[in-house]
Amino acid sequence: MGVTVLQQFPIVENRTGPLTIDLLTKRISALGATQQGQFLVDCETFTSIQQLGHQRTVHVLHNSEQPATVFSILETGTKTIPLATDGLFDLLMTKMNNFYTAKKQTKVESKGPRFEIGDFLVKLGSVTITQNFKGVLVEVEYKPCVVPAMCWELMREFLQGFLGSSVPNTPPAYLQNRMQEIYTPIDTIHQYLEQFTMYRKSPGMRT
Amino acid sequence: MAVIGSATDTLNTALKSNIVPDQEYLLQGSVLDQYVEVLLHRLRGLCDNVDSGPESFHDHELCFTLRATSGPGSAMVLPLRVRRALDVPEAPWQLRYVGQHELGDKNRPTVVRSSIDMACSSTIVEFLTELGCRMDFEYISRGYMFRKGRMKITVSKVFKMGGLTNKPGESVEPISQSYLVELSVLAPSGQDAIAEDMRVFAEQLKPLVHLEKIDYKRLAHLQ
Amino acid sequence: MERDLEQLHSALNYLKVLRSNVGQVFETVSNGLGANHGEEGKENKFMIELQELLTTVNNNLRDIETTVSNLTTPTGPFNLGNTSYLSQETTQERQALYSQLVNSYRWTDKVRDYSSLAGNILATNSVSKTYKTLSTTKRRKTQTSNHNVPPEVIESLITSIDRLFPDVTITASRPFAPNPIIQASLGRVLKSIIAFKGLMIEWVVVKAHSESNDLWTESRYRVLRKVTENCHAAMCHFHSPTMPELAVRSFMHWFHSYNTLFSSPCKRCGNYLHSNLPPTWRDLRTLEPYHEDCK
Repeated sequence: MGVTVLQQFPIVENRTGPLTIDLLTKRISALGATQQGQFLVDCETFTSIQQLGHQRTVHVLHNSEQPATVFSILETGTKTIPLATDGLFDLLMTKMNNFYTAKKQTKVESKGPRFEIGDFLVKLGSVTITQNFKGVLVEVEYKPCVVPAMCWELMREFLQGFLGSSVPNTPPAYLQNRMQEIYTPIDTIHQYLEQFTMYRKSPGMRT
Repeated sequence: MAVIGSATDTLNTALKSNIVPDQEYLLQGSVLDQYVEVLLHRLRGLCDNVDSGPESFHDHELCFTLRATSGPGSAMVLPLRVRRALDVPEAPWQLRYVGQHELGDKNRPTVVRSSIDMACSSTIVEFLTELGCRMDFEYISRGYMFRKGRMKITVSKVFKMGGLTNKPGESVEPISQSYLVELSVLAPSGQDAIAEDMRVFAEQLKPLVHLEKIDYKRLAHLQ
Repeated sequence: MERDLEQLHSALNYLKVLRSNVGQVFETVSNGLGANHGEEGKENKFMIELQELLTTVNNNLRDIETTVSNLTTPTGPFNLGNTSYLSQETTQERQALYSQLVNSYRWTDKVRDYSSLAGNILATNSVSKTYKTLSTTKRRKTQTSNHNVPPEVIESLITSIDRLFPDVTITASRPFAPNPIIQASLGRVLKSIIAFKGLMIEWVVVKAHSESNDLWTESRYRVLRKVTENCHAAMCHFHSPTMPELAVRSFMHWFHSYNTLFSSPCKRCGNYLHSNLPPTWRDLRTLEPYHEDCK
């Protein structure tokens, strides 16, 4: 597991989602990448019932890169607690549905092709909220390095070389506080949740 | 290229084809401290892991419940247990949901209860606390584990937690003068044949220990 | 010791001379009168010849006596070291081992002599592969061998390297004593597994921290495979048979420069990436980072 950066790729007017993915696929293939299957990250959100006191939210996420793991992030308003468990956590959530109920119309997922190029892993995801297309998320992982501060410049060069000037010069907000820490899969999950939350808030397509 | 299905789909398929081990078949009993060596000796002879000897464990278990009152008189309760190995600090923690006991009729040889068992990260205690769970009690369990096919046999001593919960291993006192013996199998539902195997195995341990279906409601009545 | 040996040699020599002269006396006596003594006064001539021979023998005997009196008697039984156990060998075919042992001892002695000579000669010529010039006067001690050194020497070398760089942590294991295998972790960047043969670096593999410490499988990351390759080149470059400690030290110094593997751009082109790899080469002298194609 290496450092991963998640970037939103702007949708240009009158270019559809599949067309954008197509364009990026062409670009990355021209750089010498080979496609290695598909990927999927999804997120479902549950909120506590009134009787449990102040409202809490549990986000349950799956990442096909760690297929045997379920990631959950609990937001209490003051605290954010991550949890990684086996796949059976989904079953436990169904037992819990008297206490925590799934929000309607909030299932978000990002899925698409997955590429390998050198030591980089590139994933081009189309984001949908309950089947409605919302935008494109590009995930880039540099596998050999585990500390964001060490390889951010290198990754920025890669991202800008492939996505163009839409890539900011500063790391994603979530990573900025954790530049010196060892990167773990839950950090990727946090970045996805950050992006998904923004998609949920913005009506229509995010450009 | 195969399109990746979502994890929920995979779980549903697994549930449909009945391969999720969510039922626990259980028999319990106890043995006095002075006879435990004899029982261990017996088990060593009967069980699979003969060469390596019994596997020892030293666990700390915390029992939580998530409660809410949905209306007048009807309370919803969800019990959750967290276990961690004190002797292997780097091992993942364990989260477990254990449902209601089903004693069934006399012909059924074991107790059956639904159980969801999973490994988890060490943030689980904070996660559950913030989720709204309340810790009811905790204890330390130390003993040996044996295997016989799919059956798991544990012989363990239960200790009270001392005043200092953050310093495990210190100031613990045994709850009783005996060891708890449990025979259990985790299996997908509907595999009742295993219960019969367990009854036969329990027969072999008599009269050292009587493994029985324990009716917890009756125990509550005794108190 | 040296003088004793000389005197022993001369004494043995005198003994040899004495023996041969005595032999000659007996030969002359047994031949008796012969044609070579002529006709007249042949008895007299024979007597004179015999007398001369006996005088020589007498002189020889005196020589021996003087040298023998100069010899010191050994103070005790000779210490043969472990070879004395060979006398306890019972199998017939192994009893000849002692002479073979002596032979091979002489052999290694000669090899050592020749190699130190060769070393001196080669040192004056500049075929040396390090930048440091070797001078025999500066050498602190002569290493008889790089392969067979006491474990403590290697141990102290490893600890001194460990102390040299604060961000390199070294853990050593000795699956085949006395040749250790060390894992040198370079900060949070990478780790290398280095196998020693005596004081020489025998093998290097560079891997990510998450990978196994196995010496034989290479890293699954392209960049670290490249670094492994370069480490092999540097290992050969720094290798120096006469100053093995320095070779290891210089190699570790060079290796330490990889702590900026991901975070420093190429000195030549100024970019971080070239064909999707960071600068994997470090200059051997300046330790500056370069891409494979930019160096």
